[in-house]
Amino acid sequence: MTDLAKTDLAKTDLAKTDLAMTELPVLVVGGGPAGVAAAVALAEAGLRVLLIEQRDRLGGAIHRQPAVGAPQIWRGPARHRRNWAELASRLEHVAERIELRTSTVFLGIDGAGRFLFDDRMAGRVFARPVRAAIVAVGAVEKIAPFEGWELPGVMSAGGAQVLLKETGRPPEGPIVVAGSGPLLLAVAAQLARAGNPPLAVLERGRPWHKPKALARLMTAGAPLAEAASYAAVLALKRVPCHVGSEVLGVSETGQGLTIRVRAGSAESLLQARHLLIHDGLEPNRAGIPLPAPGAEVPVLLAGDGREILGADAAILDGQRAASAVLSRLGHAASAAPLEAALSKARNFQLALAEALRSKATPPTPQTMLCRCEGRRYADFAALPADASAREIRLMGRFGLGACQGRFCGPMLAELRGEALPTANPPRWPLRPVSVAALANFSTDETES
Amino acid sequence: MNPCFYWIDRPVSFRPGETVAAALLRAGIADLSPEGGVVRGRVFCCIGACQACVVAIAGEGAVEACLTPARSGMRLSPQPSLGLRHD
Repeated sequence: MTDLAKTDLAKTDLAKTDLAMTELPVLVVGGGPAGVAAAVALAEAGLRVLLIEQRDRLGGAIHRQPAVGAPQIWRGPARHRRNWAELASRLEHVAERIELRTSTVFLGIDGAGRFLFDDRMAGRVFARPVRAAIVAVGAVEKIAPFEGWELPGVMSAGGAQVLLKETGRPPEGPIVVAGSGPLLLAVAAQLARAGNPPLAVLERGRPWHKPKALARLMTAGAPLAEAASYAAVLALKRVPCHVGSEVLGVSETGQGLTIRVRAGSAESLLQARHLLIHDGLEPNRAGIPLPAPGAEVPVLLAGDGREILGADAAILDGQRAASAVLSRLGHAASAAPLEAALSKARNFQLALAEALRSKATPPTPQTMLCRCEGRRYADFAALPADASAREIRLMGRFGLGACQGRFCGPMLAELRGEALPTANPPRWPLRPVSVAALANFSTDETES
Repeated sequence: MNPCFYWIDRPVSFRPGETVAAALLRAGIADLSPEGGVVRGRVFCCIGACQACVVAIAGEGAVEACLTPARSGMRLSPQPSLGLRHD
C-alpha cells in the first residue's frame, strides 16, 4: 500500500467517523419529567435520542402510572396530569427519532469511556457510543437516622407513595408517617383517600414559628393549593398531624413496630405495622461521572437530580439541559426564558426549607448509619475526629456498600457539617449486575 | 387464578404488571433479611436507589425487588450474607 493510499484510507475513515458522530444519539438517562422533556426537546430539534428508563414504563416517581389492571385510586393534581399528557403527546410526534429502552439500567462509564447499560429483560450488558449525555435520575430521600430505621416495616414515605401509585392499594394495618417535608402530608392524604388513613403524621419542623418563611410560601400558587387539598383530606379523615414531633426509635414487636415518639419534650409509644419516614430530598448523584467542561462527550444533569426544584421545574430543567446540549453541538437552541421560572421554584424550595428547618435529635451510638455494611453511629464516632473523607470510607466503610453512600452520605454530611466526597472518577457498576449479563456483553448491535 | 412465584419455598401470587416488591408486601412478607446476616433487608425506597430490597433470582442474579416485574415460576430468596464480616 502506498502512502497516498494510506492517506486516502485515513480520510475516508475520518469522513465515516464524522458521519457516524452526527448520527450518534444523545443519551438521556431517566424517563421522568426532566428526562422526557429533554428527550423531546432534542428530538424536536432533529437529533437522535437514546432514552434509558429502568422501569418498564416512562413516568418516573411523580408520574408513575398504575400497573395494568390496578385500580387508580388517586389521579394526582390536575396540573401534573396535564403536564404529563402534554409531554407524552410531544413524545409521540417525535417517536421515530427516540430509541426508548425500558427495563434498562445505566451502569456508568467504564475506564475506556464507554457508556454501559444493563438490559434486565435480555440479561445482557451493552455499550453505546453517544454524542452527549443528560442524566435525569431524580432525587433520593434523606433520612435522619434513629434506632431501628433499618428494620423491615420501615419504608421511605416516597417509596410508599410510588408503591401506592402503582398498586392502587395502601399497605394493610396501622401506619405512622414521620420526618419532615411536604411529602409527609401528600403521602398521608393519599393513604387516607385510598382507604387507610395513617394513625398520625409527625412533622419535626414547627412552621408556625416561621411566619416570614410562611408568608413567602403564601405566594406560591399551585403548590399551595395542592398542600391545602391534602390538609383538607387529613382533616376530613381525622388524621392527627403534629408539628415539633419526631420518632426517637423503633423496635419490632410481634407482627408490628413499637415507635418511640417525642412531641415537644414529652415521649410516648405508638404501635403500628408500618412506619414511613422522609426528611427531604437530595439529588441522586451517586456514581454519576461529570467530566470537565469541554470534554469530548459532555455529561449534564437535569431535574431533581441536578437541583431539587420539584416536578414542574423538572420539565423546564430538562428543556434547559437539552438547549445546553444543542448549543454545544452547534445547533440552534431555543432561548426560552426558563431561568425566571427555575428561580421562582428555587425561592419556593428555600422558603419551604426555612419554614420546616429543624434539628433532628442526634443518633444514639447503636443507631445504624450505613445499612448496607451494618455500620453504626458508634463506628463513626470511633474514627479520629480529623479523619479525612477517604479514611471515613476506607476505615469506617461508610459509603462503600451496595447503595454507594446514597443514604449514609447525606447522614454523615449532616453529622460532620461537610459532605463526603465520592470516589473520583466514580466506579461502575452503579447498580447490581449479574456476571452472566456481563459475560453477554456486546457493543451496540447497530455498530458494524 | 393469579400466577405465582416462590419466595424461598412459599408460593406468592401476583397480579399482572406487579413488581416483586409489591407482591411480597401484599403477601405480608416484609422481612427480606439474609439469614444470619448483620444487616436487614426490606423494601424501602422503591426507586432502585437504596439496595435494601435486593433479592436473588435462582439461575439469574441479584435484582432490586422494587424494579423487577414478577414472572411466573421465578424462585426468589434473600441474598447470601457474604462479605460483611470485616472485623
